[in-house]
Amino acid sequence: MPIEFALPDLGENIENGDVVSVLVAVGDTLVEDQPVIELETDKAVIEVPSSISGTVTEILVQQGDTVAVGQAIIKVEISAAAAPAAVPPPAPEAQAEAAVPAPQPAPTSAGPIEFALPDLGENIENGDVISVLVAVGDTLAEDQPVIELETDKAVIEVPSSISGTVTEILVQQGDTVTVGQAIIKVEPSAAAAPAAAASTAGAQETTATPAPTPSPGTPSAAPAAATPPAPITAAATTTPTKLVPAAPSTRRLAREIGVDITQVKGSGPADRISIDDVKAHSKKLHESPSAASSIAQAAPLPDFSQWGEIERQPMSKVRQITAQRLAQASSTIPMVTQFDKADTTDLEKWRKEYGKKAEAAGSKLTPTAIIIKILGAALKAFPQFNASIDIASQEIIYKSYCNIGIAVDTPHGLLVPVVRDVDQKNIIELSVELGEMAQKTRDRKVGPADMQGGSITISNVGSMGGTAFTPIVNPPEVAILGVARSSIEPTYVDGELLPRTILPLSLSYDHRLIDGADGARFLRWICAALENPFVVLLEG
Amino acid sequence: MNTTKLAIIGGGPGGYVAAFKAADLGLDVTLIDEEVNPGGVCLYRGCIPSKALLHIAKLLNESREAEKWGVKFAEPEIDLDRLREWKNEVITKMTGGLGQLVKARKLKHIQGRARFVDAHTLHIDKADGDQDQLQFENAILATGSRPAVPGVFRLATDRIMDSTGALELNDIPASMLVVGGGIIGMELGQAYAALGTKVSVVEMLPGLIPPADRDLVKPLQNKVAERFEEVMLNTQVTQLEAGPDGLTVHLQDLDGKKSAKTYDKILLSVGRVPNSGDIGLETTAIAVDERNYVQVDGQMRTAEPSVFAIGDLVGAGLAHTASHQGAMVSEVIAGHDKLVFEPNAIPSVVYTDPEIAWCGLTEEEAKKIGRRIKVARFPWAASGRATTQDTNDGVTKLLIDPETDRVLGVGIAGSGAGELIAEGVLAIEMAALASDIQLSIHPHPTLSETVMEAAEVHYGQSPHLYAPKRS
Repeated sequence: MPIEFALPDLGENIENGDVVSVLVAVGDTLVEDQPVIELETDKAVIEVPSSISGTVTEILVQQGDTVAVGQAIIKVEISAAAAPAAVPPPAPEAQAEAAVPAPQPAPTSAGPIEFALPDLGENIENGDVISVLVAVGDTLAEDQPVIELETDKAVIEVPSSISGTVTEILVQQGDTVTVGQAIIKVEPSAAAAPAAAASTAGAQETTATPAPTPSPGTPSAAPAAATPPAPITAAATTTPTKLVPAAPSTRRLAREIGVDITQVKGSGPADRISIDDVKAHSKKLHESPSAASSIAQAAPLPDFSQWGEIERQPMSKVRQITAQRLAQASSTIPMVTQFDKADTTDLEKWRKEYGKKAEAAGSKLTPTAIIIKILGAALKAFPQFNASIDIASQEIIYKSYCNIGIAVDTPHGLLVPVVRDVDQKNIIELSVELGEMAQKTRDRKVGPADMQGGSITISNVGSMGGTAFTPIVNPPEVAILGVARSSIEPTYVDGELLPRTILPLSLSYDHRLIDGADGARFLRWICAALENPFVVLLEG
Repeated sequence: MNTTKLAIIGGGPGGYVAAFKAADLGLDVTLIDEEVNPGGVCLYRGCIPSKALLHIAKLLNESREAEKWGVKFAEPEIDLDRLREWKNEVITKMTGGLGQLVKARKLKHIQGRARFVDAHTLHIDKADGDQDQLQFENAILATGSRPAVPGVFRLATDRIMDSTGALELNDIPASMLVVGGGIIGMELGQAYAALGTKVSVVEMLPGLIPPADRDLVKPLQNKVAERFEEVMLNTQVTQLEAGPDGLTVHLQDLDGKKSAKTYDKILLSVGRVPNSGDIGLETTAIAVDERNYVQVDGQMRTAEPSVFAIGDLVGAGLAHTASHQGAMVSEVIAGHDKLVFEPNAIPSVVYTDPEIAWCGLTEEEAKKIGRRIKVARFPWAASGRATTQDTNDGVTKLLIDPETDRVLGVGIAGSGAGELIAEGVLAIEMAALASDIQLSIHPHPTLSETVMEAAEVHYGQSPHLYAPKRS
């Protein structure tokens, strides 16, 4: 009996990818670890190796398909000899985040109790009262709508969680009410009357889902006009899910609030998804808007075709992620760019002199390799540049390692592989590594792990030109060094006007962590070291 | 011209549930159905009358079996007219109740037949002879299905009945051939057998109740081997001849062997076809597939965005599925427009003696899709309650995901399986693990314990079923 080989957990929070190519065919004999497909994820192009051996009986995906972790890729007839456990869809790591329960009034027997605006989920903190649906003296049943509230997501009815007689209305139409604020006072009935009064329209909706429910008070003539909030993910499809481990009520909530439940990690036994898991997932989506949603928030575009011919092309994964990360960096980091110039006349002379040694080692002695070495030394001298900010815990994280990211221009877009432990490597070693890595990057063979863990990034556009530019910090790093094109400029040296090679440098940094003076000092130190590498030995 | 927010065409368990739900959600609803009261095939000519007959069949069978338990009854006398009357009372009571619910909800109910004029207008031929047009914002098509009649059976004779005819109970034929060993054929075949008819079954496929796992069908197969004249599998009806003494049926089996037999009557139960042909779909963008089922998306929405279709018309085949779809579609129309029909488990029940019920994955399906499962089986021979009822031939099984222990399917054969299966549906819908069932206390002595004991089997030993450990 053939078994399915599903896309295994690729780590790195990778949830899906696009199939670049299928590397096996029906009838192929497949051995363990043999690549099955080439997959483009938002991090890199990777080959997915098989974890089973056998004969391929069916290919379930094709080029261009988006495949999610756990989705079957191929079917394999296990060879009789080796029929071990089929690879199960990887169990997503349990991730529990208990949602705050809706505040419940303490059931005291003495006197009226307050009913406060419960947690409405979806990060809704407050809303404006459109109408009050109960009056003093009304008998209130549990789940009966109390007020109609307009939040920034939708108009919703807030159902009561208590029953009794309404003794006081504490809000009125137009008021802004925050979660936890008292709305009405209720004298609880001695024997909590069941929802006899609320057996008609609207009473079925017992949860505080932010979807409109026709109100019994206002027989709505056009209920379809009140539309639920716009989805925050692309989950608003009508494709039924298959056997998601979640209760029907949980699956319904996910649908109603536009969460793709197949993307939710369950915290229950064997990854069972609870309502709290769905809410936590939704919260997370709101906190870190995905590329799709940040694009969705952009201003509407005009119809460009009115001015001439246009062509629409889908954004590649790399482009999507670049757009998202740079927008996030630009909007969350207060950035300053410091400019300086280094006289690299002597350095260039030495570089040509010692270039042969690098060639013997199989590489070219490039300015970038030298700058990496000097920048590594600068990080030792200025540890606040080898740091990250943890705003949540109000801490600064200092790193003892010294890894430098290199922005590489590839046909697929901008990628930033990281050269590790540059402080422990000499310039020739760095040159060799850099050469290999650049090639690997252009071939899109770098993995997600190769592009993480940088301390600081270098963006060298010198080969293209330019006198200066303002690079954008690559978070969670706090600085980026831009290198423009060096040129021969007339320069006074000891009172004499001489033609010197001048290299313009631009340092953008996170002003939250780095003060202007430090920025200037850091860049000057780098310039000084480029002019006289002895500085590195002395202070680096 | 009259207008309505929501027009619902067909008052079966799909249509009337949709209508009631929509009315409860505050929508302006018009329900169009041919009968005085809602009910559809289910109440008038299907589930409900057949259950009434099967109740009588059960009584008859048990009274005969009672002899071996020490109680002997005289051979029962069957007053066919009173039996028919009682069955009709059941129908009237049920459909009349629905009629009252229509009035209580102040639903607009039109007795008549509707067909599309365009994607937002219906033409209605009313039962009272009037004609009308109705303009709607949304419509739900729930026109159901009817028995299929293959060409060879299109003979002008009252000796051929479909399920509707069989439920009319005009007489108790001396002999009857049930054509099609599916759910309807087996249920009605057993009802007539209990009333005294010599029943035979012919089925084209190699087994009875084709969609069920074979181990679940086994107890039924054994029972009908005793009570039916003959069960012919892998056999087709090639020709019919009406004679003075009955219908002569020409049969041919898989090996090409031919035979001819004569029966008083034939019960034709070879499936049902959707009522999609005479409702004016051609005036809209609504598409049907090659078997004439209306094509819908996951929300039951047709190619006409304002029109939905549910139930047998889209191939649901089960009243409870139609009802669920109907309620969901009404919610969608009322503004919950993100809902999708996506159950994890739909129960199927065969109300024979013994009953068969299953939900979620079956072993056959698991095999077909290559999904690895573990099957935990608890035979009713080890159930106390089954022994007290002399129904030891049953079996309860769980289909379990080997990696997570999640329950993916439940199958039950035996008395009351249709009631027991609900626990399986809940377990699958709630994503229960076998251990959740194992650790839930089940009442003793009941047949429901067999579900718990099957879970115990999965974890090694059930207290009442010892199996030597496999090495």
